[in-house]
Amino acid sequence: MSAMSATKPPTAPEGTPPPKRPKPARMPPADVLRVGGSGLRSRPMRVFLSALGIAIGIAAMVGVVGISTSSTEDLNRRLSALGTNLLTITPGTSFSGEGAHLPAESVGMIGNIAEVESVSAIGRTDAKVYRNDHVPEQETGGLTVDAARTDLPKSVGTEVVAGSWLNAAHSRYPAVVLGAKAAEQLGVDRVGADVKVWLGGRWFTVVGLLAPNELVPTLDSAALVGWPVAERLLDFDGYPTSIYTRAEESSVSDVQSILGATANPEMPSEVEVSRPSDALAAKQATDDALSGLLLGLGGVALLVGGVGVANTMVISVLERRSEIGLRRSLGATRGQIRTQFLAEALLLSALGGLGGVVLGIGVTTGYASYQGWPTVVPAWAMAGGVGATLVIGGLAGFYPAVRAARLPPTEALATT
Amino acid sequence: MTVPNPVGRPLVELAGVSKAYGDVVALHDADLVVRRGELLAIVGPSGSGKSTMLNIMGTLDRPTAGLVRIDGHDVSRLSDRELSALRAGTIGFVFQQFHLAPGVPALDSVADGLLYSGRPRGERRRLAERALRRVGLGHRLRHEPHQLSGGEKQRVAIARAVLGDPPLLLADEPTGALDSRSGTVVLELLHELHESGTAVVVITHDRDIAASLPREVQVKDGRIEHDSAAREATSMPLVPQEAVG
Repeated sequence: MSAMSATKPPTAPEGTPPPKRPKPARMPPADVLRVGGSGLRSRPMRVFLSALGIAIGIAAMVGVVGISTSSTEDLNRRLSALGTNLLTITPGTSFSGEGAHLPAESVGMIGNIAEVESVSAIGRTDAKVYRNDHVPEQETGGLTVDAARTDLPKSVGTEVVAGSWLNAAHSRYPAVVLGAKAAEQLGVDRVGADVKVWLGGRWFTVVGLLAPNELVPTLDSAALVGWPVAERLLDFDGYPTSIYTRAEESSVSDVQSILGATANPEMPSEVEVSRPSDALAAKQATDDALSGLLLGLGGVALLVGGVGVANTMVISVLERRSEIGLRRSLGATRGQIRTQFLAEALLLSALGGLGGVVLGIGVTTGYASYQGWPTVVPAWAMAGGVGATLVIGGLAGFYPAVRAARLPPTEALATT
Repeated sequence: MTVPNPVGRPLVELAGVSKAYGDVVALHDADLVVRRGELLAIVGPSGSGKSTMLNIMGTLDRPTAGLVRIDGHDVSRLSDRELSALRAGTIGFVFQQFHLAPGVPALDSVADGLLYSGRPRGERRRLAERALRRVGLGHRLRHEPHQLSGGEKQRVAIARAVLGDPPLLLADEPTGALDSRSGTVVLELLHELHESGTAVVVITHDRDIAASLPREVQVKDGRIEHDSAAREATSMPLVPQEAVG
């Protein structure tokens, strides 16, 4: 102040220089947080409830994203284990409506395609399989008997859980390998010379049991016998009914487009070519549509939570008029009052957001481990969740904060 | 001493100050000078305009007419932000209702007195402890409002108001909510602050309190009816009444 007396005052009635204009001090961020938090500390129950509203919305959204990501991750892991290059060729339905069959030489023709890595086939027989010879004929349990080529595992990727796959020797004798569902229905849980099933009117020895096959689930309910023994003992006509082929990863689509003509040059339209991994992915896509709906519901919950925060803040400003007046008298600027209430709203919703993310991760972990999936919650979902709450909090707190700041100090102090 | 130094500048100058709310004139053509280190009462019945005077002196409200100068600042030329800063550094307030936040320990309530001054938190708390000891509440640092008596609450509020040693303390009915014994303690405290150099303005409706103070300004129907210092002020202009520490 004394330094100021050196400057010449323009018009000073008392002959003293006008003082330096007062300048408000900046509030350090730590104080902004502390002051914003002080309003929350004094009303823990209300804070908990309005944060809960936000938390439920965020938890729903993080949970939906987490569960769908975990399920996709699980599918991707399964697909990368199964391979996405398996193609299935089946006879379509002919004009007469009868199930057509594929030409006997089609397996060889497909094998000649340069990009094909492996090819194998099964042929449906009319034989039925039973637990023993006392079971009534009509009780087939939906099980099928298929002739299988010995190279089937190479294409389809079947996993043998007991015994072994059909070899050249087995193929000529009454030996059978059971799919997972077939084995269960026939009550077979081990292999051996004494384990037999009643198949096509004679006893077949069970030499192998298969694990469930995700890409070709029809094999699960099949009893697989050798091609030669089927022709010899089961009146099998020798025509393949399903051909399984693996193409080079890079040219799967190319191979897929020529398979029909290759398998049945005379009537390519009667051949159906499918890619089993597509079916799995398609199932996932329907799940995604559901996820979108749930995500929208989560968004609505979040919005409702935001309205709750706005409501809490409006009430808070009404209740704390005298506090606002006091703070103004202590030297708070309008901006500092606005910042205080905005910080309070942001803290409140950030609290809800963090709680929601934790809750969402919990829900995802619970559901994923129940489903046997890996738990994956993408970082963007967590960051997005917290980010969304900050936006909500900012919007919800803006109007009350502006109202608090506009309150004239005398009016604020007049209320008790 | 013909040319006064800045310390001699009056703290509060009201010249022809009026305040109207619509058609109602709450304060009419008031002239008042408060010097550094003064202790005075503004006394009047309710509705007399004394609270309006306090609000204008405290820069919480602007006059509709007239000149208000606080610590040399022409209030009409300062923005709302600048007025806030002026309050933060120059004026301490004590209210009838204490205005202590529930659940907040005395030390933190007092430390908030310098929240908007830009001083670091550690310093604020250190000063708060000192201020609480000064008002005789060194043993109540951690107590929350509901654990304090009315008199103690008002002493906490006073500690908060004088934390940063503002030259001006405005006390609005400081004993209004207290029993007479607590009121006496609070008044003694205001006397002590005055003796240590702070200018204290007590707004009260209590004539006995007003009479016990060195200077008495009587307000009625929005006008200053009597100022016990008016004659002195004209005969000895611009000289502080007390030595300022």
